[in-house]
Amino acid sequence: MEWASQLCENRGLGSKMTDSKYFTTTKKGEIFELKAELNSDKKEKKKEAVKKVIASMTVGKDVSALFPDVVNCMQTDNLELKKLVYLYLMNYAKSQPDMAIMAVNTFVKDCEDPNPLIRALAVRTMGCIRVDKITEYLCEPLRKCLKDEDPYVRKTAAVCVAKLHDINAQLVEDQGFLDTLKDLISDSNPMVVANAVAALSEIAESHPNSNLLDLNPQTINKLLTALNECTEWGQIFILDCLANYTPRDDRESQSICERVTPRLSHANSAVVLSAVKVLMKFMEMLPKDLDYYGTLLKKLAPPLVTLLSAEPELQYVALRNINLIVQKRPEILKHEMKVFFVKYNDPIYVKLEKLDIMIRLASQANIAQVLAELKEYATEVDVDFVRKAVRAIGRCAIKVEQSAERCVSTLLDLIQTKVNYVVQEAIVVIKDIFRKYPNKYESVIATLCENLDSLDEPEARAAMIWIVGEYAERIDNADELLESFLEGFHDESTQVQLQLLTAIVKLFLKKPTETQELVQQVLSLATQDSDNPDLRDRGYIYWRLLSTDPVAAKEVVLAEKPLISEETDLIEPTLLDELICHIGTLASVYHKPPSAFVEGGRGVQHKRLPARAGSGESAESPDVGQAVSAVSDAPPAVIPSQGDLLGDLLNLDLAPPTSNVPPVPSSMQMGAMDLLGGGLDSLLGGDVGGSPAMGVSLGGAPVGMPAGLGAAPAVGGGLGDLFDLGGGVGVTAGSYIPPKTVWLPAMKAKGLEISGTFARRSGVIHMDLSFTNKAMSVMTDFAIQFNKNSFGLAPAGPLQVLTPLSPNQTVDVSLPLSTTGPVMKMEPLNNLQVAVKNNIDVFYFSCQYPISLLFVEDGKMDRQVFLATWKDIPSENEAQFQIKDCHLNSDAASNKLQGSNIFTVAKRTVDTQDMLYQSVKLTNGIWMLAELRIQTGNPNSTDLELSVKCRAPEVSQYVYQCYELILRN
Amino acid sequence: MISQVFILSSKGDHLIYKDFRGEADKDAVSVFFEMVTALSGDQPPVVMSHKDLNFIHVRQGGLYWVASTKTNASPFTVIEFLNRLAALTKDYCGSLCEKSVRMNFALIYELLDEMVDYGYIQTTSTDILKNFIQTEAVTSKPFSLFDLSNVGLFGAETQQSKVAPSTAATRPIMSHRSEQGGKNEIFVDVVERLSVVIGSNGVLMKADVEGEIRVKCYLPTCSEMRIGLNEEFSIGRSQLRGYGTAVRVDECSFHQAVKLDEFDTYRILKVCPSQGEQTLMQYQLSDELPCAPPFRLFPTVEKDYGSRYTDCDLLSQELSSPDQTAELQLKNKAILWSIPRFPGGAQLSALFKVEVPSLSSASLLEVGPVSMSFELPKQTCTGLQIRFLRLSPTQPGMSQRWVRYVTHSDSYTIRI
Repeated sequence: MEWASQLCENRGLGSKMTDSKYFTTTKKGEIFELKAELNSDKKEKKKEAVKKVIASMTVGKDVSALFPDVVNCMQTDNLELKKLVYLYLMNYAKSQPDMAIMAVNTFVKDCEDPNPLIRALAVRTMGCIRVDKITEYLCEPLRKCLKDEDPYVRKTAAVCVAKLHDINAQLVEDQGFLDTLKDLISDSNPMVVANAVAALSEIAESHPNSNLLDLNPQTINKLLTALNECTEWGQIFILDCLANYTPRDDRESQSICERVTPRLSHANSAVVLSAVKVLMKFMEMLPKDLDYYGTLLKKLAPPLVTLLSAEPELQYVALRNINLIVQKRPEILKHEMKVFFVKYNDPIYVKLEKLDIMIRLASQANIAQVLAELKEYATEVDVDFVRKAVRAIGRCAIKVEQSAERCVSTLLDLIQTKVNYVVQEAIVVIKDIFRKYPNKYESVIATLCENLDSLDEPEARAAMIWIVGEYAERIDNADELLESFLEGFHDESTQVQLQLLTAIVKLFLKKPTETQELVQQVLSLATQDSDNPDLRDRGYIYWRLLSTDPVAAKEVVLAEKPLISEETDLIEPTLLDELICHIGTLASVYHKPPSAFVEGGRGVQHKRLPARAGSGESAESPDVGQAVSAVSDAPPAVIPSQGDLLGDLLNLDLAPPTSNVPPVPSSMQMGAMDLLGGGLDSLLGGDVGGSPAMGVSLGGAPVGMPAGLGAAPAVGGGLGDLFDLGGGVGVTAGSYIPPKTVWLPAMKAKGLEISGTFARRSGVIHMDLSFTNKAMSVMTDFAIQFNKNSFGLAPAGPLQVLTPLSPNQTVDVSLPLSTTGPVMKMEPLNNLQVAVKNNIDVFYFSCQYPISLLFVEDGKMDRQVFLATWKDIPSENEAQFQIKDCHLNSDAASNKLQGSNIFTVAKRTVDTQDMLYQSVKLTNGIWMLAELRIQTGNPNSTDLELSVKCRAPEVSQYVYQCYELILRN
Repeated sequence: MISQVFILSSKGDHLIYKDFRGEADKDAVSVFFEMVTALSGDQPPVVMSHKDLNFIHVRQGGLYWVASTKTNASPFTVIEFLNRLAALTKDYCGSLCEKSVRMNFALIYELLDEMVDYGYIQTTSTDILKNFIQTEAVTSKPFSLFDLSNVGLFGAETQQSKVAPSTAATRPIMSHRSEQGGKNEIFVDVVERLSVVIGSNGVLMKADVEGEIRVKCYLPTCSEMRIGLNEEFSIGRSQLRGYGTAVRVDECSFHQAVKLDEFDTYRILKVCPSQGEQTLMQYQLSDELPCAPPFRLFPTVEKDYGSRYTDCDLLSQELSSPDQTAELQLKNKAILWSIPRFPGGAQLSALFKVEVPSLSSASLLEVGPVSMSFELPKQTCTGLQIRFLRLSPTQPGMSQRWVRYVTHSDSYTIRI
């Protein structure tokens, strides 16, 4: 290093010490000089020359012309020089593939070197030279190194397989490297295991369905053992790999959690977060009443708190993750409010994140403390932070009702400071508080009005105007106030103009006598002098309303407003669940799924939380497995007789619909859920209640028969064969009709048993019912009515049970339905409450219909329209589902689905995947777009992936259920 | 998986550039620098994305340490790695600055090569790395005991550094040929950071201590070190031992290499320190300080409706000693009062008179809080002490052991 110290000493006398001689500017003959030095006999000189070359390379100079000279230095026993040459090779080999071949011999020789360092170095470097021609020479040395006696060489070789796979995947498979790699998972050295896991995970990501990382209890056990022994970085690979495993049951889940929890106290935050990810995911499977569940919750808090004492960079990343965790499981950190209080020297981005978490954790128990903090923050220097703090006070008021009063008085105190931006922000949030608690805090209006002049931001002005208009009757000089705004009407932003228009119309409706002139003025300003279409249209509508029917105008303009919800900025639950699976990764910092920012297919499979064991919990995680069972033939749920409901159902024809619909009794909901947990199988296979109508109607295909061909067996063998010959799988299957189930058991209906199903036949919806008289007397005078429901289903005609029903007799009726009945959103969406009357009594039951019933025949969308619509619907509205074990190819699936009016708009084949783009239209005009992905390459992968996009995302889940049902039958 | 790693000077010069996976362009470096310099104050700088490339960076020693990735990598992993890389660079090159990185680029490339393979982090441990690293460190100047310009506790500048051997912190761990390199020294530092909020009524609203025990080791051979902590040291709220003199912390985490078999009974940490700097133990204590907070403030604010100025201006100041200074920082709306040092048990006072445009009664709401930054040498707030430091087998020749304590303010706020 003499040259360097010399250099520095020389230069140290001068003023500039930042340059070393490697970075001196290009001289004319520099390359030439270097060439000479590289070919020098002296080793030291050579080394210095190579260093200079690399220095030039770093700053971006092109030194590729020296390639042959540098490669010549490669054959040396000096490790330091060799490393330098390799460094150069990795950088330039790609641009000089032909010359790179020159280096191959040395590589191959080095792979046999007695020194393991040199063997590993050679294998590592060869993998980094991304030249096709080199890869074939690489295979043999790599094979040897994978079995090398030295673990350092083996772990380097393991990573090299991943490198090679990226260059030439086929070669790796043909050479059987994948199997060797799998064997390395059982290696005795934990570092080798960790690298093998990392390499396999990466390779597996590009083959989503290969069984490369075959995670089973045995391998998991091996990984958990290696976890305790390997370096911190290896632990991260292993934990991340564990996070992809789905335990078989809650017991396995618990035992893995137990072995992972010690990682929580690791000093490396990356290890901690990877452990948190595993635990958050596996916790999902533990029953909540388990003691261990509580223990685990307690153990998660301290490591998360510890992260907040790290440097700001890590703190920020940690806070973004904690934000997710708090939304998913607030109980973990509910007692840790204090750690999220901001420090004065926190960077602003950390402060803002902390504030967000504080509000999420705010509750009645800690609100006093939180408010005191927020008030302090509101007097800080940083404007953005102050604004957010003021807003936070408002959010607390809305979230914790008991604190609303205190929040309002805090806000008033802040308004007293007269600091411009504080006042404006406070007014904006007070408006929201008025929305949440109407008619409660108007006493503060006077104070607000004092500050009218200082408002210069549109949002604050609009908020103030809204308040004046809303409470015009209580503000004596409301007209003067609004008039003052009107003067500069055209200079205001649209937001303010619209608000002003509405406020003055409100004022007029409340105090018509004094304000006629004002309202005319604003209407003419809005309609005649404005070229903003929104403003103009709203102006005309008001004008028309006021001139034709002031009473109607009053009803419209002064209508009661819906209350604003508590938390508006929560992450949507399915996205949240996906993000929870990505804790500790970039996705958790961006709060976006990886598919949104990772290009190509690598690592963007949608991950989901595992299902919890025990059916009672199914309501909590509706997006996981169990949702499958919530299909049309839901078990009967009998609504207990209830006066209100009765009136509502019976009076439909007589009186206009009353607005107070009784809430569905919760006991019924719970019952339904519990039974659903039992699974689809028991429902289909078990023939609940032994419906006698089974198989009689057209749709009643016995379990296991091909879909839609339920009638075929009755037709006779010959015809059946014809059917088979004619189409095979290509036959357009009719829509799938679930078998009848008992909706109303006899014991609940004084001997009348009703079972039924739904079918769509040639465009008409039918409710197929079987009435069985299990009582001793004859039943007559049948009638049926529906309660209001989500899609307006109503009987299209009277119930035709013509003959009296004798004891033990069954009659089948098909009731055509229309979709023009009154609409009310039900929970679940496809729930239908029915009243049936006979000569004995009125009976109530509820049933669920498959939403495919509502898929109309003209639901095929034009390709272009499809494309545009797909793009147009925001990605938050996209829902992902998986259909497991479906042995259909894309044509068969497409045909089956078409039978139920799910139309394939386009088909695309990418690699080993068929993608069907499908459209569905509901009777109420809602369109649903779907992408169905079917693996074609691998017969073992039978899982289909379904993405549904719809402007009404709540429907997606039901559409998915229909897919399940149709494809499986 | 890390795609590229690069180190940039504060001006954006490329000091080190290493591509691990050949999936991103070298242009990324300039893209990053443009992005990072264009950031506004409230944008989080930690993670940035450009097209499908994500940048994660930290700043240390005035340099940008950047990693880029194309996958959904773990930012925690990357940040920890970059911090270790900076720490290792410091360990190997002696100090962390643009010059030392420039001069040791070959060494840093070699380090990077061993630390990361194809974007997967392999190791960051000095013990393992020293088996592989061939390149010698180049130090910028010979060490001299007279050179006190660079003195400081590792990572933390201190005014008390004269009590500690000053050359220690800026010496590369592997300089075999350097004359001073032969010295066998080991430093154990107990560093605590204090966050305190004192309410306007003088009540302690929040007091947190974050502490760590750091070791910097220059012993050439690995021998076991036993560090004895206070015997009454306890972790968690429930297990108080003895008669209330306990030294208590809420949470404790240890370096992977620390052996804890004697910790439970004797409060002894056993470790074979590897060369370089390590944090052996980290601990936190919140809310219950065993002693009173080190500083108290008695503020009074009076308003004086006198003449009205249009600018905010510091009219006069009265300080208790000439070596103190005070200035008004208009940008931060703050007065900065600097006190070079003052002895324990002392009381200082200052009076500031400020003209404020349009003073109202509400303006007083805006006064405060007072924030303090300070450093207290030879003091720990938790009371954690190191009873003994033993090396076994005892090092041949002269081996020096140093124990230092220091408490810093992290965020010490007094509300008015």
